[in-house]
Amino acid sequence: MREAILETGGHPRPATEWHLRAPYDWRAALAVLLIALALIWSGQRMEVGKMLRLTGEAVLAGVGLQEESQVGKGLGRMIGALFPFVIADKQEMARLSDIDRDNLPRFTRIETVEVTSYHLNAETLQAEPQVETKEYLVHPFGYLIKVLSKMVETFEIAIWATIIAVLLSIPLAFFGARNYTPNRFAYSASRGIVSFLRSMPELIIAMFLVLGFGFGAIAGYLALGLHGAGFLGKFYAEDIEGADPKPQEALTALGAGKFRVLRAAVLPQVAPSYVAYTLYILDRNVRMAAVIGLVGAGGIGQELKGRYDTFDYGHVGTILLVIFLTVFVLDQVAARLRARLIG
Amino acid sequence: MAAAAIINAALATGREGQAHLSFRGLRKVYADGVAALDGVTAHVARGEFCVVLGPSGSGKSTLLRAVNGLTDLTAGEMVLGDTVLTPKTLHSIRRRVAMVHQQFNLVERVSVAANVLSGAVAEVPGWRAMLGWYPPALRQRTCEVVARVGLDELHLTRRASALSGGQQQRVGIARALLLKPEIILADEPVASLDPAISREVLGLLREAAREQGATVLCSLHQTDLAREFADRIIGMRKGRVVFDGKPALFDARAEAELYEGLAVPGAEPKEKIYA
Repeated sequence: MREAILETGGHPRPATEWHLRAPYDWRAALAVLLIALALIWSGQRMEVGKMLRLTGEAVLAGVGLQEESQVGKGLGRMIGALFPFVIADKQEMARLSDIDRDNLPRFTRIETVEVTSYHLNAETLQAEPQVETKEYLVHPFGYLIKVLSKMVETFEIAIWATIIAVLLSIPLAFFGARNYTPNRFAYSASRGIVSFLRSMPELIIAMFLVLGFGFGAIAGYLALGLHGAGFLGKFYAEDIEGADPKPQEALTALGAGKFRVLRAAVLPQVAPSYVAYTLYILDRNVRMAAVIGLVGAGGIGQELKGRYDTFDYGHVGTILLVIFLTVFVLDQVAARLRARLIG
Repeated sequence: MAAAAIINAALATGREGQAHLSFRGLRKVYADGVAALDGVTAHVARGEFCVVLGPSGSGKSTLLRAVNGLTDLTAGEMVLGDTVLTPKTLHSIRRRVAMVHQQFNLVERVSVAANVLSGAVAEVPGWRAMLGWYPPALRQRTCEVVARVGLDELHLTRRASALSGGQQQRVGIARALLLKPEIILADEPVASLDPAISREVLGLLREAAREQGATVLCSLHQTDLAREFADRIIGMRKGRVVFDGKPALFDARAEAELYEGLAVPGAEPKEKIYA
């Protein structure tokens, strides 16, 4: 400002000669045109047209304006198979050893099913019906309880993954914040690690870790924790950089070192967004913990994968419902927590 | 003539001998070649409320910020009591120097009490600083200074952002008073406040500093406030001291010289001040 005035010798130009530029010019138009062309090109490769046509057919079939659609049939069959949700647990008595018939486990009952099977009579050479009775030990909510306990395990995986992500991202954020990093090398190293962690898909990290740590929760929460650190490290660092410098200067003037300034002047400013990022990572970890179970990294995903592979779609339906309800409840809790901590 | 010189020298050393804060030939040249301080020599006596006046860009802020090391000097010497200020002694000196800022520089999202306590953040053990768990004596002292600046108990737990500008600057002063500093640097402490509030806040700063025997170096841009509150006025223009004396001597002519650059040796002819 001062220099600009010095350049004009202290005599600003009259306002009639000023020029205020329009917000858009030919460069903006060109950019819009180029983006549109790129999207048209990409849209063909991604079969966006086909996607729209098939979706349209499915919608028309859904409201009864069209006989049937490919998408509707495929999805309908699959979704239909999810119902009814299986919540009971059924085990054949013959396979259960040491079970006391007079003293069954709580809530369970024995169901008898008559099974008719046809056997070839060697003399008459005719298939004759033969009625067999099979007994099952039925726990009416057995499977639901199993899924819920798996969900608890999944939630534990998500919690530990979040703790690991937060702990790892604190030093990453310190070294990755331009105004606090001790030197350029530490800054680049931290930013590099953060990008690397974020660019590795959890599923792949989990697959590698399963090789190292074996099947189970350890591989699960480590994989999610590492990926989460890549996310949190980046956002924590950017918030530190963007914090209001005035209180930081006030404390620096009192002789406070970097850590004390961070704690007393920066942390209170960034706390609301840190809470929001961390809750998002927790939410994401719950959802992703269900996915990485697919590669044997523990939790409900392992159960989901097993049931899917054995075509027990009723069970799959129960699992999906429980995951949805968990995410929904977590979202409500997180919203309240956020309001309380930020408000 | 020789006698006069001796007497003058004796006066100068006598005055310098009592000085609480001495500046000798301070120079600060920025990377772009602008000299913010161009040979500043001045001595501030213990317990004095010394106002630094001058147009924007005259080097007032730079002078204040040099005392607590927020700005490095290019050349010159600063002495606080009997300690020469160097990067090595800076840390021990910061304990004795507090600052009140133009924009208050509070952490808006935390309570008044936490803001005041943060004045001691550099002095408590690390674990206390990290937990924000200050010892009882400091908490008690916080209550005292908050009361001293005219706020009450209800304000302690209120967020700084919920306070008016005048109240926020009171919190800024309380933070500065917390550790009973020898020197309070006030960088345009009332520039963002309305005139009535400015008078109150400045009066508070002067009285509270006097009670503790603290020396105040306060930059201002309101000459009327300077005349009203200062024990001494230092006028700065283009990085040089062009007036140094009692407020009674700072008359309309001195003011014109300071702000309009009239009859100042070595200064360019009349020129309008921007920025």
